[in-house]
Amino acid sequence: MNRIEEKMQQLREKQEKAFITYYMAGFPDLAATKQIIKAQERGGCDVIELGVPFSDPVADGPVIQNASYRAIQNGTNLEKTFALVQQIRNEGVSVPIVFMLYYNTILHYGIPAFAQKCSETGVDGLVVPDLPYEEQEDLLRNLAESDRTILIQLVSPVSGARIKKILAHARGFVYCVSSMGVTGQGADFHQEIKTYLKNVREVSSIPIMMGFGIRASDDVIPLKNLIDGAIVGSHFIQIMEEKNFDPTVAETYCRKFKTELNN
Amino acid sequence: MNKRAYYGNYGGQFVAESLMDALEELDAAFEEAMSDEVFQKECSYYLKQYVGRETPLYYAEHLSREYGMKIYLKREDLNHTGAHKINNVIGQILLAKRMGKKKVIAETGAGQHGVATATGAALFDLECTVYMGEEDIKRQSLNVMRMRMLGAKVVSVRSGSNTLKDATNEAIRAWARMAEDTFYVIGSAVGPYPYPKIVKTFQSVISREAKKQILEAEGRLPDAVMACVGGGSNSIGMFAEFIAEENVKLIGVEAAGKGIETGEHAAAMALGEPGVLHGMRSYLLQECNGNIRLAHSISAGLDYPGVGPEHAYLKDSGRAIYVSATDTEAMDALLELCKHEGIIPAIESAHALAYAKKFAEQIVRRMGEEAAGEQILIVCLSGRGDKDVNTIADYLDGRGYLN
Repeated sequence: MNRIEEKMQQLREKQEKAFITYYMAGFPDLAATKQIIKAQERGGCDVIELGVPFSDPVADGPVIQNASYRAIQNGTNLEKTFALVQQIRNEGVSVPIVFMLYYNTILHYGIPAFAQKCSETGVDGLVVPDLPYEEQEDLLRNLAESDRTILIQLVSPVSGARIKKILAHARGFVYCVSSMGVTGQGADFHQEIKTYLKNVREVSSIPIMMGFGIRASDDVIPLKNLIDGAIVGSHFIQIMEEKNFDPTVAETYCRKFKTELNN
Repeated sequence: MNKRAYYGNYGGQFVAESLMDALEELDAAFEEAMSDEVFQKECSYYLKQYVGRETPLYYAEHLSREYGMKIYLKREDLNHTGAHKINNVIGQILLAKRMGKKKVIAETGAGQHGVATATGAALFDLECTVYMGEEDIKRQSLNVMRMRMLGAKVVSVRSGSNTLKDATNEAIRAWARMAEDTFYVIGSAVGPYPYPKIVKTFQSVISREAKKQILEAEGRLPDAVMACVGGGSNSIGMFAEFIAEENVKLIGVEAAGKGIETGEHAAAMALGEPGVLHGMRSYLLQECNGNIRLAHSISAGLDYPGVGPEHAYLKDSGRAIYVSATDTEAMDALLELCKHEGIIPAIESAHALAYAKKFAEQIVRRMGEEAAGEQILIVCLSGRGDKDVNTIADYLDGRGYLN
């Protein structure tokens, strides 16, 4: 079983909601990223999504665009992000790690080499925002070779009839995008959010994680019965920036959110 | 994999899941509209009465004498709004209306597509927002003014290179947010399927007319057709009807900027490698980490690091060839057309003219003057140069041309 799937099973047994964060690798540098990841794990984060910077992040709003830009400026790239994962695994970090990256970064590295490197370094899952269901074949085939790394499926409020086919073979969890548009727009969820989440629950038993525009546990508590966890990205990055990338702030934020989500 | 979305290995639909539904809806609406005579008639009506088609296929007598072969110019510069962009906009706006959309958005580089979209939106009473790179807003201020006069909102994009690539990123982001009630009018032959198909369909009027016109004028097909390539909309329109005519050479001219060897260029076909950007797999200029490289060209409309997927396919299959012209060569050709024919072309189109000169030289060398003089070349004059007068003035100033 994949590390994410194991984590989801444990949470299900404990009847606990998951708390997931997204952070940009190399923002402001890789040393700080490492400390922030460790702090999040201490704070009780269940899965950590790690962004690999890309020059043209079309699914992201200004906060992640800026973090991505700065990460590229200081030389962060896919190879260095793999090295970071390798290091923290060697140093005992066991939280499931998901890479969030754009498809060209994978293509440029070479899909077979990329899949192998994910498996070697301990990357447990991938979120590729510009790789919809129809285009996943090559990547899935290569990931299947090792069965270590899984592709996380995304669905959106307008996925409608597509949800069923997208989730037919989905693993780990489903990333339910809360609203139309890009990351970091504020908790202005889609007007049909409840119907949509219920629809996802009906067609699949996979755990539902909701992301996009979430800042505090209050944003998702009204939807608590419809989801299995929440993902915070832009807001978390913003806090880190405001608090001078202080790992203790990261730890406190994660602990607070996770606790409130499970009260 | 949706096979219809591909031209060989190129094309596809590399977009966020939240846009897949909108693309499906668009493809269905487009296919349905194209099979409806009423829609076809409506398109033809506006192209004729509003845009002013058909455009002349002008025999450039002086230029032909100068360059040594028969050169015909497909005068897309004479369209309403000054470029070929309006052909596609009329089609897409009529489609938007048919789909019941009240708002349209567009990206623009040189501003020609932005102006065309703002024009179409004014004509059909749609709310229009145009995304444009900050750098392009500076070098194309006249077009910015025109868009505003036409009632469009122009959003300045400040990210990356502040040019067409970044404007397109921002338009895609905006569309992802508003796809439920907004139509994204893509101006180039790029983007996720079905956009490259839609743009080609609406731009193919260029070669449909040109083919008929050259047969009338010369009684035979041309030996070659040529067009500049940024994303590739006027070129795919110029090629479309000739792709099946194996004896007609298809030549696309990219922007070599300061020179291919300098690294400051926009020659995605010459030096790019296949990758994914803006929803499509195609040739792209990339850095060693797979980040997209900044393109450079004096012409805002060619300042793009990628190219439409069908062009990538035409290149690999050998059906079309892709060459390039530098900033300097384009500016020289621009001034030559002014001097010899009394036509001020857009800097974009001047790239095709620059290569036409080189091409003619090759033909003359190979065939001798007499035979070369019978060879027929059609160059797509995609737009007029009024919008570029400031850029041209700066360029001439810097180079001392006027003295």
